[in-house]
Amino acid sequence: PAPALAQKAPAAALPAGYAGAETCKGCHEDQFTKFEQTKMGRLFLKHPRNSTESLGCESCHGPGKAHADAGGGKGVGGIVSFAKDDTTPVERRNATCLGCHQKSARLFWQGSPHESRDVACTSCHKLMETTSSRAQLARATVIETCGQCHLQKRAQTMRSSHMPLREGKMTCTACHNPHGTVTPALLKENSANETCFTCHAEKRGPFLWEHAPVVESCATCHDPHGSNHENLLKVAKPRLCQQCHVESRHPTSPYSRREKQVLGRSCVSCHANIHGSNHPSGHAFTR
Amino acid sequence: KLGGMNLEGEIESGLRFNVDDPERRRTQKFEEYRDMGEGLQLEGLRLRLFRPDESYAVEFGGSKWGREDQEFSLGVGRLGLWEFRFDWDQTPHVFSTDARMLARETSPGVFRLPAGLARALPADGPAYNAAPRLDDISVRWDTARLDFRLTPTPDLELNASYTRISKDGYRPMGMAFGSPGNDFLEVLQPLDHTIHDVRLRGAYARPDWQVQFGYTLSIFENSLASITADNPLSAVDAAFAAGSSVPGSGRSSLAPDNVAHTVTLAGGVNLPMRTRVNANFSYSLRLQDDDFLPHTRNPNIVAAAPADLTLPQNSLDGRVHVILGNLSVVSRPLRPLTLSAKYRIYDLIDDKDVVRFVNSVENDRILQTDPRQSGQWGFMRQNLDLDARVQIVRPLAVTVGAGWERWDRGDHREVAESDEVFGKLALDATPAEWLLARLKYVPSFRRINKYNTHAHVEHTVFEDPAGALQGQSTLLRKFDEAERDRHKIDLLLQIMPTETFTLTPTFAWSYDDYDFGYAPAGVRQLGLLDEQTWSAGMDLSWAPVERLVFNGGYMYERIDKTQRSRSRPVTGTSTFDFFDYDWISENADTINTVHASLKASLIPKVLDLHLGANFSTAYGSIETANPTPPTSGSAAQRATANAKVLPAFQDTLLRVDVALKYHFLKQWTAALKYAFESWDQRDWRTDTLNPFMPGTGSSIWLGGDSRNYAAHIVGASLSYSFK
Repeated sequence: PAPALAQKAPAAALPAGYAGAETCKGCHEDQFTKFEQTKMGRLFLKHPRNSTESLGCESCHGPGKAHADAGGGKGVGGIVSFAKDDTTPVERRNATCLGCHQKSARLFWQGSPHESRDVACTSCHKLMETTSSRAQLARATVIETCGQCHLQKRAQTMRSSHMPLREGKMTCTACHNPHGTVTPALLKENSANETCFTCHAEKRGPFLWEHAPVVESCATCHDPHGSNHENLLKVAKPRLCQQCHVESRHPTSPYSRREKQVLGRSCVSCHANIHGSNHPSGHAFTR
Repeated sequence: KLGGMNLEGEIESGLRFNVDDPERRRTQKFEEYRDMGEGLQLEGLRLRLFRPDESYAVEFGGSKWGREDQEFSLGVGRLGLWEFRFDWDQTPHVFSTDARMLARETSPGVFRLPAGLARALPADGPAYNAAPRLDDISVRWDTARLDFRLTPTPDLELNASYTRISKDGYRPMGMAFGSPGNDFLEVLQPLDHTIHDVRLRGAYARPDWQVQFGYTLSIFENSLASITADNPLSAVDAAFAAGSSVPGSGRSSLAPDNVAHTVTLAGGVNLPMRTRVNANFSYSLRLQDDDFLPHTRNPNIVAAAPADLTLPQNSLDGRVHVILGNLSVVSRPLRPLTLSAKYRIYDLIDDKDVVRFVNSVENDRILQTDPRQSGQWGFMRQNLDLDARVQIVRPLAVTVGAGWERWDRGDHREVAESDEVFGKLALDATPAEWLLARLKYVPSFRRINKYNTHAHVEHTVFEDPAGALQGQSTLLRKFDEAERDRHKIDLLLQIMPTETFTLTPTFAWSYDDYDFGYAPAGVRQLGLLDEQTWSAGMDLSWAPVERLVFNGGYMYERIDKTQRSRSRPVTGTSTFDFFDYDWISENADTINTVHASLKASLIPKVLDLHLGANFSTAYGSIETANPTPPTSGSAAQRATANAKVLPAFQDTLLRVDVALKYHFLKQWTAALKYAFESWDQRDWRTDTLNPFMPGTGSSIWLGGDSRNYAAHIVGASLSYSFK
């Protein structure tokens, strides 16, 4: 049984087939030195909380005695290397990590988009040395890590209208949980809007007068990853609004560049409370 | 060593100068989310104090101290048992450094024009254009986060966190005074918002099952309920006549306070045949009950219709319930086969009061005598996904799948029910150790039960047939609800011929078709007709020798949208629907993005060179044309219906960084840094915008624009690291 609190697990004889961390260090001193500087390394090598963690290197790489007895070598003795060219199935490699980490943010890993496409935990995380300030990422930052595959999303952060990702004030994981969630697009909260409301709670309402598409999805009008139109809008105003508003009079004019309805902030110059209004006379979102 | 503890860390400090500093009014984009001030900088600090056995540690860090965008953190923990963390972050958001405003804020949220104005345009135009320039219009976000995590045993984790986001500053806001589509005055919206977010989490994990619960409390507080601004066209509230009174000032509501509670229970269990079942249930309650403002601040309208403008209740008693349920089953009955089924239901139940107003007042000016009531905007969204993945041979896996998405909105929106079916084909191949290929194709087809153009009007406006006729065209299909055929393709390759060289080409294409020809013969559907986006790019990472690392990439993106609309003039209560007043707009955005960086060790462990470059340029065009020249109606109506040329939008951002780092005396590093940054934007809506624009009527803007700049930044820093 696990100790009641994180205490050093009692020293126990190594199970059959295991060689012990010191044996590993004998040939892999460089890796060992880097690993013991990591948070997981400090825990496993100095303060293991249970018998699994006390196996040190072999708690993840598997029993290493056969590997050591055979003189080492890639894959020799059934060792799991977690390297890019490791032939161990990804599912099995990931199961090693999930053995300890299948809770909290990783609860919904199975069946998630990344899991179902055979993405390995080690595609995004580097355990053997500290490369990032948090979360043992494979690259220095979250954006660089996600950007290995999501090139287009990373490029969007360079657009003129953007959230402060490239300034280092936000990361992809502010909104997404790459390990799997109950929401499309791996959003952290229960819906796209609830994700936005985390920081933009003023738009949550409920309002007396709701702008119906706003209630359903902020992404109807905004592209959160970046846009070349102001306020992360998907299309320039007034065309954005004119996609859905073909009422009579002023919403339907094609307008010239000199008209007040399109200059400056265009439609929202008057319809300032476009996300919803709590004013008794605010049905047109002008109050 | 410090009191029996070990200390390690690093500190970097230096000086920064902006050579050829952009003038203040050109710094909106330069300082949009950052403080680029000159002078002494604390660029980074990290201290870690820990017991020799690493059991306890304290970490303290931060950067940009003393600046508008400073951040720091403190972490304390017992390894593997508990961890406490505090983070502080300041982020400025500058909207404009180029605006001019004649009105003055006499008390929070009240903007008064100076005495002596004629309150007439164009007579007062020069005064508005000579108004003092505002130093900036900006909001600063201050975010404090406390997080405590306890892991009593490796399988139990408890977590409590509190986040407080404070937003303080101003942003532009318009106040309308005229009849619809007419006069407005841009002023500033004061922001004094606070968001409190409390989260409690618990997770218990056994090898074959896990369970976790969560509670989130989110509170939004706004210190101001309204904003008031003077009318540039009238100093007093004019006498009420013919249903209207030109107001001396207008008042608009601001975001009301609100609260949301969310409770979540989730769990997962491993079953025989390598089967995993996950389930999640979540309930949220959103509340909003701020006092209503009166219909108008214009006493002359109130006096004319005192009874009719009585509010039926003082507040909304806004109440929304959100129920979320998920069930997911993933099974691998045979080694090469993975089957998965997922069901999701998201039910937003809008339970707020439906408030009926006998009369209302448009823009503090026009008494509207058509009864109007607010609506309830609940909806239910259900998703079902079924996938089968087969590892045909070791290097190739094929996934085929099908999905269904159902929306039930009730009859308050144009489309009460829609069903969308999806297909999915995905290939993941690793034909060689050096090559990974991922290809996905997802077609989907959305169909609806019916499209009721007047659904919204029917639920909000009563006994107003003219209003319905002047409402949405029956030819319109709103793209967020309407029938749609969609095709999406994504391709990613990772080519790794050597350990030190990776090439990653990507390609994506999607096409949405909304044009289902609903209109009668000879007439075309209105609204967004189609959208096509595609992108192609490549990343390259290459380290030919240990001392040299190169990263680079290029991305091309293109977005095309076609929308069709119709100019629909009104005379009296008659709406004219001339077919030849149709206009089509082709909206296209083209974006090119390039990045490159080089890290070279010129003299190993002594001299390093870092080079970086980012370039992004976007071109957005709006090409509008009448399919047939307008010939119906009056000359004035034809002039309005005629499509006009709108210039393109363009912007280009370039940043180049060079840093030379000299390491000496083992622990010291001196760095010389240079950066060049330039911003160039063309936006016809703001490029030449003045507060008063002759010929545009009687509106007043702040006149701000994101001005172009070029900046040369030079810095020098010294860092010391110790263990």
